[in-house]
Parts: sequence; structure tokens; C-alpha cells
Amino acid sequence: MEPKIVAFCCKWCSSAGADLAGTSRMKYPPNIRIIRVMCSGRIEPSYILRALELGADGVIVTGCHLGDCHYIAGNEQALKRVEMTTELLETMGIDPRRLRLEWISASEGARFASVMTDFVEEIKKLEPSPLGGV
Amino acid sequence: MTAVDDLIRDIGAHYCIECGKCTTVCPIANANPDFAPRLIVVKAMAGIANVALEPDIWRCMTCETCSEMCPYNVLYSEFIKGLRAEAVSTGIVPVCSQHDLMQTMMRMMATPGLQQNRLGWVTPDLKIADKGEVFYFTGCLPQMSTIFRDQEDVNLLGIAQSAVAIFNRAGITPVVSNQEVCCGHDLNWTGDEVNFEKLMRINLDLIKNSGAAKVVFTCAECLRTFEIDYQDIAGDLDCELLHISEFVDDLVAEGKITFDGVEEKVTYHDPCRLGRHLGIYDAPRNVIGAIEGMDLIEMERTREKSACCGVSAWLTCDSIAKEMQLARMVEAVGTGSDKLITTCPKCQIHLRCAISEEMPIEREKADIPIEDFTILVANSIKTGGESHGK
Amino acid sequence: MNIGVYVCHCGTNIAGVIDVEKVTEYAATLDGVVVARNYKYMCSDPGKELIRNDIKEKNLDRVVVAACSPTMHEKTYRDVMEEMGGNPFLFEMANIREQDSWVHTDKDEATEKAYDLVRMAVAKVRKNEPLERIEIPVTQRALVIGGGVAGMEASLDLAEQGYEVILVEKEQSIGGHMSQLTKTFPTLDCPMCILAPKMALHEHKNITIYSFSEIEEVSGYVGNFEVSIRKKAKSVIEDLCNGCGLCQEKCPTKVLSVYDGNLGMRKAIYTLFPQAVPRIPVLDRENCLMFTKGKCGVCKKVCPTDAIDYEQQDEIVTEKVGAIIVATGYAEYDPSEIAEYGYGRYKNVLTGLQFERLTNASGPTLGALKRPSDGATPKRFAFIQCVGSRDVNTHEYCSKVCCMYTVKNARLLRDEHPESEVYVFYTDVRSAGKGYEEFYKISQEKGVKFVRGRASEIVGLPDDNLLVRTEDTFTGNVIEAEVDMVILACALLPTEDSAKLRDILKISEGTDGFFLEAHPKLRPVDTLTDGVYIAGCAQGPRDIADTVVHAKGAASGASVLISHTKMSLDPISAYSDESVCRGCGECKLVCQFGAIEIEPLDGRLIANVNEVLCKGCGACVGACCNGAMTIKHFKDEQINSMIEAAMEVA
Repeated sequence: MEPKIVAFCCKWCSSAGADLAGTSRMKYPPNIRIIRVMCSGRIEPSYILRALELGADGVIVTGCHLGDCHYIAGNEQALKRVEMTTELLETMGIDPRRLRLEWISASEGARFASVMTDFVEEIKKLEPSPLGGV
Repeated sequence: MTAVDDLIRDIGAHYCIECGKCTTVCPIANANPDFAPRLIVVKAMAGIANVALEPDIWRCMTCETCSEMCPYNVLYSEFIKGLRAEAVSTGIVPVCSQHDLMQTMMRMMATPGLQQNRLGWVTPDLKIADKGEVFYFTGCLPQMSTIFRDQEDVNLLGIAQSAVAIFNRAGITPVVSNQEVCCGHDLNWTGDEVNFEKLMRINLDLIKNSGAAKVVFTCAECLRTFEIDYQDIAGDLDCELLHISEFVDDLVAEGKITFDGVEEKVTYHDPCRLGRHLGIYDAPRNVIGAIEGMDLIEMERTREKSACCGVSAWLTCDSIAKEMQLARMVEAVGTGSDKLITTCPKCQIHLRCAISEEMPIEREKADIPIEDFTILVANSIKTGGESHGK
Repeated sequence: MNIGVYVCHCGTNIAGVIDVEKVTEYAATLDGVVVARNYKYMCSDPGKELIRNDIKEKNLDRVVVAACSPTMHEKTYRDVMEEMGGNPFLFEMANIREQDSWVHTDKDEATEKAYDLVRMAVAKVRKNEPLERIEIPVTQRALVIGGGVAGMEASLDLAEQGYEVILVEKEQSIGGHMSQLTKTFPTLDCPMCILAPKMALHEHKNITIYSFSEIEEVSGYVGNFEVSIRKKAKSVIEDLCNGCGLCQEKCPTKVLSVYDGNLGMRKAIYTLFPQAVPRIPVLDRENCLMFTKGKCGVCKKVCPTDAIDYEQQDEIVTEKVGAIIVATGYAEYDPSEIAEYGYGRYKNVLTGLQFERLTNASGPTLGALKRPSDGATPKRFAFIQCVGSRDVNTHEYCSKVCCMYTVKNARLLRDEHPESEVYVFYTDVRSAGKGYEEFYKISQEKGVKFVRGRASEIVGLPDDNLLVRTEDTFTGNVIEAEVDMVILACALLPTEDSAKLRDILKISEGTDGFFLEAHPKLRPVDTLTDGVYIAGCAQGPRDIADTVVHAKGAASGASVLISHTKMSLDPISAYSDESVCRGCGECKLVCQFGAIEIEPLDGRLIANVNEVLCKGCGACVGACCNGAMTIKHFKDEQINSMIEAAMEVA
């Protein structure tokens, strides 16, 4: 089975970067399902866990580069929360490589495509999610 | 017979004489005049409405202050627990703290075969084993320690470390397992019976395979869950279940540990789960009393009448909870003690929260250090050895 | 709940990769969906008509369009909803173009993904709630920060439309860099002559100028800003001063004039230039003898109106405005960090602006061409282009104006001093603009020697002459030109105080440090902070003509806002459930917009969100421990429904 990955993108940077990847016709694997929120600062640890609980093979949280947040510092909250969640996953026995945080600006269509390609490849190298069968 | 009818029978609600004592003592009812435990029971019995749909069933802290006073021992908290399961089965999703993070984590732990890494806290000086007489059940301390890592002075892993240090001091190498999962207390009290049972099976198998005759807990909730809920479903367990305070109380009585003298005044907070739910009041007091020079000053509301920390199962962490927490802390400060001791890590988290955030009263009125009983004990034991309490 | 799903072919953009028929069939099976259709161009009139008809005939209350990015057409369809009496927020878009058909080639996989995206959008729309826009009053006045040509133009346009304008200038006079220039390309007008009529704006009844003033603080929000302005002490009582200039004339202290590029002197009490507006001098306390030595008082003695006040303090004034235009211009790059050009070391190496002052009739030499080292008349000139621009070690961007001003100065030299020898060492000559290429051609005809190559080194010679070394990249020969003077076409930079202003106004800057527009093409004068606009070089290097156009655009943007007495705001904002909130204050800590206050209520504390200040980011919701804080349109249950839908299998 192809892995399924949930991507959280902020409206202003990473989602716009995803759009730019599209406008530029860059290709990346179709495993990503984007959930667009206003800001990466909206992403909560519980969302990450929820996606993994439901069998997502990976979760990627993306936002504006640090210092470039459309909401000034929402991405700093994302960073803090993803760090905490990573530690929690490690303890719980979920490979922390299943969770990734990336900063992708609105002008980084190519970066969006390469980050997603890379993440899908890395996830494919892991065993299927232990929660996949739930 | 509906599920609610079954519940009414099981908890003895038929015996309710509508005396209203429960409402009088209920801490939620005291803060919120619209809330009345009695009315939920009455409504259920009259079959007026599906009480499982009432938002009030999620407001109850299940502290059992009401049952404690009930002339007919109606077990209100069990009633609420059953109603919540019923509510969840109809698709109601409770609103839990941290956007359901803890509950999600607990559900995930119910997946068999996860290779956890929960023993990072076991420092080289601590001796643990895979099999043995005594099983130390750590509960969710490793996870909570991550989730609450921003909370100032919280030392949840110190509780586990202190527990093992105490065992080791008494010549015991406890079983501590990387395979242990959450006891399921919070899922059980938020209506998720399915995952609760899955967690229970994993834990019971684990303990069985360890060969332990005694399981010791540092968490009042874990103990309550094993003692009452597990045995309720899985039948009597063929091992002894003890809170660390009971275990230490025995060690002291047997002379296996002694304490250094210390000049300190402490006050003790009875957790609902340990006190009213399980009736364990004396063991922690005995142990504190055995520490030479330590002065236990009781708060006004103590033992059966102890105040609740305001939150259970991550459900009711609201403004009423905060009022209760601050009131409790003010009470503790009022004793003139150096610190407040509790035997439940969750009580500690909740009370600590209240004094670390913005508050409507002057901070010094409620600000008193909080310490877990296990850490207090480990730090007071005679002779050197590593201390994990600081 | 009646949901309609509309799948767009976008010509072949979507339908060429995704099986839109199958997606439509699949959508029809989803819970709550009563109609699913597909159409060639959903955003076209017939496409929108399909939706309109279904809303009417099938009683749709919720709509999902699977098409392009919501950035493209979310508004289009929300408008359709609104027009049909529905709520525009009971709408979702599934982005199956940019995030599907355009990035995937395998048709089955792309179609499979489209199922998921549609299912996620339907799950979300099911949980959506109708939202009402927030209506707020608008103060029909504007603040313009910066009194250069951009700020003046914007102020005049707004004032002429009848709006009161507050113009704040940090120098003692408006005029900006344009007032320093000699002549302007391509018409060779005298800048001061064409600027003077605009500088007369101080007489406009709708314009209030605060000169020698800075923005201290800005509170409030779009349509309702409150601005604190620091009027720095001029030591001159403005109401008494008649601008006679006697103080300036008699002041015994001479100081290097920054305005004149440090090539000439000014007094300790001074106006920037003779035509200064306002014409009130400022006493420079760092150099005035009364302040450094405690004695002198000449200005006070000679002042006929007793306007000198040594005790004067800074004054803070507050103004209420509905819109803010940032027209703070640029700063010239200091080329001394490019060691090979020897700026600062060699006296005859000047910056572009210095050369403007040197050749300006009211400049330090009154227009006489004299070189700084010895006052001799230079005859051989080298202009070096792209100094601090188009260089990743300094600034990657092109400063845009330097080609043309160099062409202008080079040509003027040949016009006015036909005996002079003029080299321009350039990377490319960028002469795009009306009449610019023609102007460049004339300068070539007049004998300016254009050499394609970036000067690699300037060597100082014993007689203060300079040797410029460069490769002529057309011939491959290394050229060494001995000249009397070198003029460096320095990059245009963001002003030094732009970071401070950025923080005060809560606007963003790009990687180049200039203020960031909301969209590089379509919203070039807006910032991402509603009600704050940018004009001129504050947004990026541009010449006077473009600056005026940009300023007029910003004025137009601002007037669109302040022409209304009320405005409606996006309703996506956070709110706190006061029955749950424990007033812990975590939300306030993470809110970057000051939108949350912790307030007492019946003896406890609760968080209160100012929905106008709230930008809808949702950081506070993530910080809230107990679910009291919620954000409209992005509630937990709404996001969770998408997560759950994403993980379902079609």
C-alpha cells in the first residue's frame, strides 16, 4: 500500500509554495494530503497524533520561514509544539521520523516539491505505520 | 431495559431519597447554581430525557464528595462514568484538555506492539528488572513529563526515579517495564470503554508475565483503575495492589527504612482517587509522621472532606476548576507549611497550573511549593545515594 | 444539509490528468451531497450559473468546488453564495489543480488523490458554520509617513479628495532625496522647480505637516489607528518663527552638512536648503555652543520674533487616522565596505548623491565643478555602476535608478563641459522607461564612453587622480583609465529606521529589507496589515516617475478605505468561551497583535479577544489548554474532520 501523508500548510507561505509548485508544473509523489490552515501556529500536537492514530504514515507541518511568519511568530509556536510532539512520539514508540517540520516560503515551489519528494521517500523506507491497521 | 436503566440499577440510584445532600456538598454545584447532581439522577429515573445527552455529565469531577455524604451510598461517579460511555456511543465527543492530546495518545498506546522508549528516566544508579516480586507501575509519567515540560519545577520523572530509589534502598529490585501502557483511567472516565479494555489487557498480561506478586503505584489514578475498574472487568487479580505510601508504611513498620531528621512543616492533599475512592488516608500520613522533625499540618478540608484538585480525566479544566485550585492552594498557604505534599501526579499538575498562570488574587496568597509524596520520602531516607527529587 | 459539489475541468488543466467524471460520481456518494456536477470552466458565467441554479432548485446550503487554488477563486464562489442569499463561509474549495493535476502525471493516482481532496473539503464544509462579517467604523483621515516625493504626492491626492492628511517627516523639511538632485532624467528638469509646487502642500487646508518628527507608536487597527507622533524639539518655537534666516546667518558654528553629502558646511541652527518647507530652522544640540559649552546665545539675541527656545522639549501628539501610507524612501549605500573602490580613502571618489550635490546650483560649490581634494576642476570622470547592487556579497537586487541617473550626469558633463572625458563602467545599461532609451542614445552621441565591465579596482595616484581598472568585456582588453574623479552609482537601501517602523506598524519586509507588498503584481501598494499602504522606494528602488505612480496608487488604496464611514472585516477571528476560560493568559502570550486581554469577570479572570485586532492565525487556540479559545472557520472539529477524511479510503 502507498503511504499516506498528511501535510499541514499555512495559507501564506507553504500552501502558496505548494501552489507555485503546481503553477511551475513541478512533480512530486501523490501521497500528500494538504490541510490548509491560516498559520502553522494553529497546528496542535493533537492533530499530529490524530493523523498518526488514524494510520497516516507521516505528518509534515510546514510554515513560513522563521522570521517571515505572516503572523509574526506563529511558526515559532509550531516549532515548539512539533519539538514537544517529536519527544512524545519517541517515548510512545512511534518513529519520530514520521513527523517533520519544514519552512517553505511562497516563492519556494521547487523546495515544496523537493521536500515532499524527500519526505515520501523517507517514509517509504520505514516499516508501515504500526497504527496503520487500526 | 436501556443502558441508562441498567446503570440506575447498578449504582443503586433507586435508593436515592432526594435529600439533596449531594448538591449541597458538590463543589461544582457550589460554583455553578445550574448544576445539581441529584437532578441528573432524578431525570434519569423519571426517564424524562436521555440524560446521557446532558452537558452536565461532563462537568462532574467524579470526586465522590457527594457519594461520601450520601445516606444510601448512591455511587454517583459510577453513574456519570456509565452515562459518559453511553454518550460516546451515541457519537458525542467530549472536549478534553490540550485538544484531546492526552486521550489521543492513550488511544494510540492501545495499539499492540508499539516499541516504546519510556524508560529514558532510569539512570544507571537505579536497579530495575524484567521479572520479580514487585512490579512498579509508572503510569504516564514519561509522557506527561514531555507534555508538561514547560511547567516550572514540575519533576514528574523524579517521582519514578524516587520510587525505584526507595525500592532499591529497601533491597528490592522492582520490575519496571518498557512495555507498560497507560492504565486507561482517563479514557475510562471519558467514555471510551473499548480502548480502556485494550490497555487493561496489555497491562494485565504484562504483570502476569512478570511474575509479580505485588504491584506498586505512585499514581492514585492508576491504583484506583487497577483496584476497582480492572478487577470489575477482569475479575480479581492474583496480586496485591498497593500505593507507594502503603508500601513504604509497611517498610517503615518493618524497620527496613528509616529517615533522616528534618525540620519541615508540610501539609498533605488527599487526592480523590486515593482518598474517597480507595479509602487510603492513613498510609501517607503515617509515613510523613515517621520522618523525624517533619510536622504535618492538616488543612481545614482533609481526608474524606478533602477538596478536589478540580480536574479529572482532562475534562473540567475550566474557571470553576481554577477557583477550586486557588482556594485549595490558599488553604495550604494558610497552614503555614513549607510545602504541599500530594500522592497523585495529576493533582500536582493541576494545582501547579493554577499557581503558575495569571490569577485574580495576589500570588503570595496561593503560592506554596508542591512536592510529590514519593520524592519527599526518597529525599528523607537515611544514608546517601543519589537523590532524584531535586 | 444540502451540499453541492462542482468539479472543474479547467479546460484540460484538470480534466487532462484527473478523471473528472469519476470524481463527480464519487462526490455524489458522500454524506450530505445532493448534487455533484462537472463543467469545463466552473469560474465562467455558465459555470457559476450551474451553481446558482442548484442553490435555487436543489436548496443547496453548502457548496464545494473542486478546482484551482482558493487563492484564485475562493472569492468568486463565495460571492456566488452571497449573491444567492447563502452564507459565503458555507463553502470550501478542493485544490485539485495546483495541488493535484499540475503536480502529478499518473492519472489514476491523481484521480485517487482528487477523491480524497474532495472528501476532505466535503467533510470540512459539513462542519462549517455561517459567519457574519464584522462591521467597524472608519476614521476618514490618513497618515502619510515620509515627506519625499512619494509622501507629498500621496498626501496631495488624498487632500484633494477632501480627506485630512497628517504628513510626518523625520527631517526638518519635506522634499526628500529629490530636493537634493541636480536635474532629472529624461527631461532634465530642475527638481526643485518641479517639486516646489508640490511642496506648497503645507498651505493646503487638509494637510498638517509634522516635520522633524517620528512615529512613536501606532495602536488600533484598520480604519481606526491611533498614532503617537514625537515632535522632536527644534529649539525654535514654530508659531513665532517667521523663517527670516537671521539666526542661521549669524550662528558662529559650522558643521559638515549631511544633506550636502558632507561636501559643504552648514550652521548649528539651520534649514536643510533655502526652499525648505516648513521654513523653520532646527537647532542642532549636538553642535550648538549653548549646549556644548553653555554659552553663545547669538541666535536668541538676533531673532526678531524671540522664537529661540533652548529649553524646548520633545512633544508627543496623537492623531486618529483610518489609513497609513508608508513613504519613507531609501538610504544610499555606503560604499566604503567595498575596499577596492577606496571610498573614504580617496577624496575624489564620490557617491551618486554627493555628485548631485556637487553639481547642484544651490549645493556646497554653488554648482561649480570642483573636486574635493584640491578644489581643482576635474576634467576626466569615471562613473562606476552597480556599487552595492547586483552583487550577492552586498545586495543581490538591481537598484533600478542608477543607470539612468548616471547617463544623465554623464551627459550633463558632456553638455556643460564639452572638453571633459567621461567614462561609464557598466554591467548592463537598463534604460527601460518612456524616453529613457532615447536619452541614453543621446548621451552616447554626446560622447560619453560606455565601457561594459565592472571596475575591479580604483588606485589612488599621488596627485589625487585615480586609476580605474576594468575589463572591457566586449574586447576582452583590460582598461586602465586615469581620471580626476570617480562617481559610484550606489545601491538604494531601506532606510535605517525601517526595522523600527516595521515593528511599530506590524508590517513585513522582504529579504531585501524593503517593506513587503501584499502581492508583487496585484497588490503592489498594500501591505499584509490592513489599512497600511506603501509608496515609493520604501517598497523597493524606483525612479521619480514610478514613485509618483506608486504614490498615487497608495493614495487610491487608502482612499478606497477611508471613503467609507464603515467597513466590514473578515469574520475569521478567535473567541473565548467565558464559561470555560480560566484566564491563564497563555493565549495572550502568543498573540502577536495585542488582540487578547485578560480581564476580570465576577472575581475571576477571562480572556477577551478584540475581533478587529485578531488576524485569525489561531496561535492562541493552540496555546489554550482547555478548549475555551476557538477560531471561527478553523475549529478543532473542523480541522479534525479533514484529518479524519484524509485518512478514510475511497
